[in-house]
Amino acid sequence: MSDNSDKSTNRADEDKKDHGVLYIGMDLGTSRTSVSASNGVRETVFSTVGYPKDHVSSKLLQKDVLFGKEAIEKRMSLRVYRPLEKGVIKSEADGGDDANMKAARDLIGEAIRIAKPRSDELVYCVIGAPAEASMTNREAIIEAAREHVDSVMLCSEPFAVAYGLDWLEDVLVCDIGAGTTDLCRMHGTMPEDSDQVMFDVAGDAVDAELAKQIEATCPGAQFTIQMVKEIKERYGFVGEPSERVMVELPVDGKPTTFDLTEQLQAACSVLIAPIVDGIKQLVATFDPEFQQKLKNRVLLAGGGSMVKDLDTAVEHAMHERLGGGKVIRIEEPIYGGSNGALKIAHDMPEDYWEQLK
Amino acid sequence: MSGFKETLKDALRQVSFRTSVEKLRKKGIQEVSVLGLDRIVGLVEAAVHRSLRTRLMGIEREAVAESTKAEFLRLLRSHEDLQREKSEIERARERAEEEIDQMRRELTQKQSALQDRLERGSVDQANRYVGEDAAIAAKVTEVIGAIASESDTASHEVLNERLMALVMDVVSAERQSADGARKELQDREVGILQRRIKKLSDTLSSTEQRLVKATAVKDFDTGISSIYREVQGLNTADTQAAKKKELMADIFRANLALQKRSKGA
Repeated sequence: MSDNSDKSTNRADEDKKDHGVLYIGMDLGTSRTSVSASNGVRETVFSTVGYPKDHVSSKLLQKDVLFGKEAIEKRMSLRVYRPLEKGVIKSEADGGDDANMKAARDLIGEAIRIAKPRSDELVYCVIGAPAEASMTNREAIIEAAREHVDSVMLCSEPFAVAYGLDWLEDVLVCDIGAGTTDLCRMHGTMPEDSDQVMFDVAGDAVDAELAKQIEATCPGAQFTIQMVKEIKERYGFVGEPSERVMVELPVDGKPTTFDLTEQLQAACSVLIAPIVDGIKQLVATFDPEFQQKLKNRVLLAGGGSMVKDLDTAVEHAMHERLGGGKVIRIEEPIYGGSNGALKIAHDMPEDYWEQLK
Repeated sequence: MSGFKETLKDALRQVSFRTSVEKLRKKGIQEVSVLGLDRIVGLVEAAVHRSLRTRLMGIEREAVAESTKAEFLRLLRSHEDLQREKSEIERARERAEEEIDQMRRELTQKQSALQDRLERGSVDQANRYVGEDAAIAAKVTEVIGAIASESDTASHEVLNERLMALVMDVVSAERQSADGARKELQDREVGILQRRIKKLSDTLSSTEQRLVKATAVKDFDTGISSIYREVQGLNTADTQAAKKKELMADIFRANLALQKRSKGA
């Protein structure tokens, strides 16, 4: 891949990188990509990439590519991609196209850029990938990241969450994202395939259900999936409501107030059963001596864990179906994965980084 | 002792106030008890002596009485001094107020003088013009008179020439004066502009120097430094260090395999 002149150039470039070492932990998600870095940067960006549709929009926007919130806001002028739909990058082999791969590469590049690395520092990056990402996907992620960093590694996203909290044994991580919910049990060693469960009932499924509910119960209400997502993120809950959820939606152009309390509760509740099914599967196939301990250490992480009272609801369901359990929501659901990846990057020995350059 | 009595009487008079029977009646007072000044002094003296007699047994009462009287006199004198000071302060205040009034009067006078001068100035200017106009009229009259005294067959050309000469004379004088004023104004404006130009040139020069310095700093890095100067690795004091070391090795091996697979592809 590289000839001697490239190697000597690379070595010369690295010699200039004597200012320090920047560690980056990245959580690549369907909806959000979060970054935590050892220079104090912690940022999150929506995993949306947009390219101007034509020359006119290109001149108007004065950019060749837009990311995150900006891409969502200007979506009418853009070709918009969510390159990590359902937690995987749709390459050509998966029925996707080059444009999707390019969007994924650009998104990873943007994530590294927002970590604000210095040009005279070594950059070592650990990326938390979905547990069941294919080899092709992993290669694509590595390839995209290598353009911007000196050395990069992948790890399982739920594993990164647990590692970040120093919970390495007898813990079950439930990472609720937008595209997928990943469950992973930790037992002191690297999780294997049998330690991981993934299903696609997650944030996007809640949005779809809520949209369906609104369509059925609010005649004439005009809305987009983006609006539904914002309603969910702001008001989402399960269990008993503490107050009514009143939301304004346009009807024939006129803002009209709707009571969406029941609809929200019903939509968010779709998460509970699959999560408990996944927990049951992992607990039941675990060493019986440690099953009780595992049940009592269920960690909820990811953006989906911010649904109000979801931890209580899952715990209640576990009591009914599994005879007990304890569910804890991590303190920083958005940054749990990236913080854990950062910690892995920090702890990784130097010669491992060197060998992967 | 008689001196002390007189002093006491004076002190009593100072702290008393005078009023008329009518005023008392208006206040509703129909009867008053009268106590003469000598009687009050006598009572005070008796009280002092009695007090001294009962409290100062075996002590030289006379010496104490004398010192008490001296203290009383000292207080009285101090009171008189304060009264005097108060009078002096009041007199000083009155003097200051007078001076302020004087200054106000002078200020008013000066303002009206200034106003007069300004009015006179404009009057003088108007008078000058009147004077100049009269001079011009006199010259015109002289010329016309000269022409009229000549024969009736005086030519138009002669009339024209002499009138023209008069008019040009007056106009050229005005023009010179106007030109002089205009030139003076222009010189002033030019001077201001030249000073501004110089200031701007100096500013431009210093800004250019700063720009040169800034552009000399190439590759300005907008990144944020990491807190680490060197690669870190596991903390050996960590209680889970051994387990983490194995996990790191597992992650590395998986990534190495991925990289080899990718390169092989």
